[in-house]
Amino acid sequence: MRPALHAEWTKLRTVAGPGWLMLGMIAATVALSAAAASVVTCAADGCGGDPTKLSLVGVVLGQAPAAVLGVLVISGEYGSGMIHTTLTAVPHRVTAFAAKAITLTGVVAAAATIAVLGSLLAGRLILSHHGFTAAPGRPALSLTLRATTGSILYLTLIGLLSLGIAAVVRNSATSIGVILGLLYLLPLLAQAIGDPHWQRRLEQFAPMSAGLTVQATTDLGSLPLSPWAGLGVTAGWAAAALVAGGLLIRTRDA
Amino acid sequence: MSAPEIVLTGLRKRYGATLALDGMSFTVRPGVVTGFVGPNGAGKSTTMRVVLGLDAVDEGTALVGGKPYRSLRCPLNHVGALLDAAALHPSRTGRNHLLWLAYSQGLAARRVDQVIEQVGLTSAARRKAGGYSLGMRQRLGIAAALLGDPPIVMLDEPFNGMDPDGIIWMRGFLRSLAAQGRAVLVSSHLMSEVQDTADHLVVVGRGKAIADAGVNDLIAATSSGRVALRTTAGPHAMAVLAHAGATVVATGSDTITVSGLPADRIVTLLNRSVVPFSEVSAHRATLEDVYLELTRDAVEFRAATPTEVTR
Repeated sequence: MRPALHAEWTKLRTVAGPGWLMLGMIAATVALSAAAASVVTCAADGCGGDPTKLSLVGVVLGQAPAAVLGVLVISGEYGSGMIHTTLTAVPHRVTAFAAKAITLTGVVAAAATIAVLGSLLAGRLILSHHGFTAAPGRPALSLTLRATTGSILYLTLIGLLSLGIAAVVRNSATSIGVILGLLYLLPLLAQAIGDPHWQRRLEQFAPMSAGLTVQATTDLGSLPLSPWAGLGVTAGWAAAALVAGGLLIRTRDA
Repeated sequence: MSAPEIVLTGLRKRYGATLALDGMSFTVRPGVVTGFVGPNGAGKSTTMRVVLGLDAVDEGTALVGGKPYRSLRCPLNHVGALLDAAALHPSRTGRNHLLWLAYSQGLAARRVDQVIEQVGLTSAARRKAGGYSLGMRQRLGIAAALLGDPPIVMLDEPFNGMDPDGIIWMRGFLRSLAAQGRAVLVSSHLMSEVQDTADHLVVVGRGKAIADAGVNDLIAATSSGRVALRTTAGPHAMAVLAHAGATVVATGSDTITVSGLPADRIVTLLNRSVVPFSEVSAHRATLEDVYLELTRDAVEFRAATPTEVTR
């Protein structure tokens, strides 16, 4: 396993794409979070809202580069035919696939940590200028910690979900279409549905709306799912995609 | 590991409606270059993919050094293969491509620089592989195949895209690999590319080996009983000889190959019919002839052949 990991890490660091995608993820997450924080103002009767969740809203945008990286790690190789070289070097297919998943996890988690902490910091700085310093606006530290680690885990899970989908689909463009549709179209669909029962069902089931409940620190009663359970739904999606991808890689002709 | 051989037994593989391999069996032995030739679509690449465990067969076994490829640990130390020289990430340098491959086998970066020098790619190694010519990519692919210093080397169409210098280099290189005792399998759809290189030939058509013999034996078998005739009165000569029961093929503007009649009988017949001719000699087949003869029925798509008159 270690040689396979060394090989995958070398692949990632010897082309420019992954580095730029991770920089893009950090920039998009921090920029959108900062922008969102700078447009809210405290009303006279109290600040309200969920400042932590607001500071992390950039994750909604930052997940796209993470998804693209997850896709390209494997479907890029199917596109060029390099997957044959990879699988002749590491003929144990599950090992080859696991090495990709572990390397991707490390890279996305590291970049996501920077992106999430950066967003939180930017949010704090900007919101404090807008009067969010009062105690009622500050959630308990444990809740902020949950939102922070949860957001980092969420971005990592989206990378893995994309890897799994790409291992099934194999084609880069189709895979990116499927994953972005899953992330962004399902919540839109939920908004379009009139029936509140089905709307709630869809929000509990869609990987983004379920997973991002982990960012909530206030008004937890109104969430479609409890925060960790929501992230669990995203983890379930990622696990299902990885298992499907792993099984197909094992059984299909390369 | 037992003897460094590739042993294929009864491989069958179907892709949808296409039967790609239909009982492919042969052995690639150490110390010789085995040419693997046949028309496009005859199953050469599929066979190589099966050997490397990339495609699973419906029936049969493919063993390298006595084991299935997929059971090998650090397989590049056992088998070095070049399947598709274009299968690269275009923005990764040649050296970095070899680097990740080396690391995947637990090899050191030092080994990468050795194989780069061995294939003559030192000056281009730190450039992006996307800018390489096909010939340079072939050299990079060969370098990758040599990384683990494997006793078995398998190359799919390595002459493709090579300039004449490259072809000459490749021939010498393949011979030297065999001289070091390695088993070398080289595929080509052009017989002329392997004729000065291979000691042994496996000719394939429609998914199976239709000949598996030494190069000299194959040439001798195909040449036997044929006579080359040089004449300016081609049609007349062909009519006369065909009438006498020979199979006659026009092989050039003034040359005819005759089979089924001995040379002295041909001379007598032509003299009797007053057909002028300038030369009658025993025909020595080229590998090209051998190949055409063997694959005549196996070619799936074929243009019209030169005039052929049978009685």
